[in-house]
Amino acid sequence: MAVKAFSNEWAKAFKDELNKSAIYKTAGKGWKWTVGLVVEAEPEKHFPEAKGIVLDLFDGEARDVTVGPASEAQKSDFVITAPYSRWKEVATKQLDATKGMLQGKLKLKGDLPTIVRYTKASQEMTECTTRVPVEWPDEK
Amino acid sequence: MHDPGPGRMARRKIKPKLDVDSRALVGYDDDEPSAFASMLGGLIEANVRNHPEKERDFGSLKARVGIWVTDIDEGVTLDFKGGKLVVHNGLKPRRTLTIRTDADTVMSLSNLKIGLFGLPVYYDEVGRGVAFKLLQGKLRIEGLLPNVMTLNTVTRIFSVQ
Repeated sequence: MAVKAFSNEWAKAFKDELNKSAIYKTAGKGWKWTVGLVVEAEPEKHFPEAKGIVLDLFDGEARDVTVGPASEAQKSDFVITAPYSRWKEVATKQLDATKGMLQGKLKLKGDLPTIVRYTKASQEMTECTTRVPVEWPDEK
Repeated sequence: MHDPGPGRMARRKIKPKLDVDSRALVGYDDDEPSAFASMLGGLIEANVRNHPEKERDFGSLKARVGIWVTDIDEGVTLDFKGGKLVVHNGLKPRRTLTIRTDADTVMSLSNLKIGLFGLPVYYDEVGRGVAFKLLQGKLRIEGLLPNVMTLNTVTRIFSVQ
């Protein structure tokens, strides 16, 4: 069943997908930092307020995924910021996250060598988002 | 009264001691560096600051290296000037080496492990993937034959492993 985009239900489904992934479990070994995803508001797409998703990831496991204000996500060790429609492109496989970062479509803050070292883990994280069936507010 | 200001002293030029912690290692030629230019510049700067062995390579490397990412149609020129790097948006002339490949392979290149004698490792999973792309023509390196050593040095500086 589809869940509302970037809702608490979505966060739970995303966490479950991460913890089901054998690829993520291996590729994320040694990771010990929090990741914040900032989804910027786009009122014209029926996404009126920015949201922040905090991923508590540790050693190949998603310990917690929570949705809250953008300011919370911005406190994470690594922060990736993009408008709602860009995140939708990522979650629907229209935009590859690696390419998006190289093009500046997704803005990354954090230690670059660390995130590059875990490229495979971050690619699998993106794959996990695509496996969550989502109800998009601009498609109602 | 003693003048605490530096004033003029003997005609002796004191060369300020440069150290890697305080120097600006990476500069950008463009007023608005592209996201790719900022990312590569930031990656190299962090690598050099955190690894003394990379600092030695960085200090000695003089070469102009172009990187063109085929699936986003964007590139940069890394102008290594022996201890300083200037990053240009796009490909500039007089390049020593030019690497043309897709975004994923650029990431794989920066994940190559460095093995014996400072040579990149091409026999592990990441290395085999890079070698396979080279054989398939999905990774092209112009100027490779006369500049193998330069490529190895660039790989060592670029690698996060």
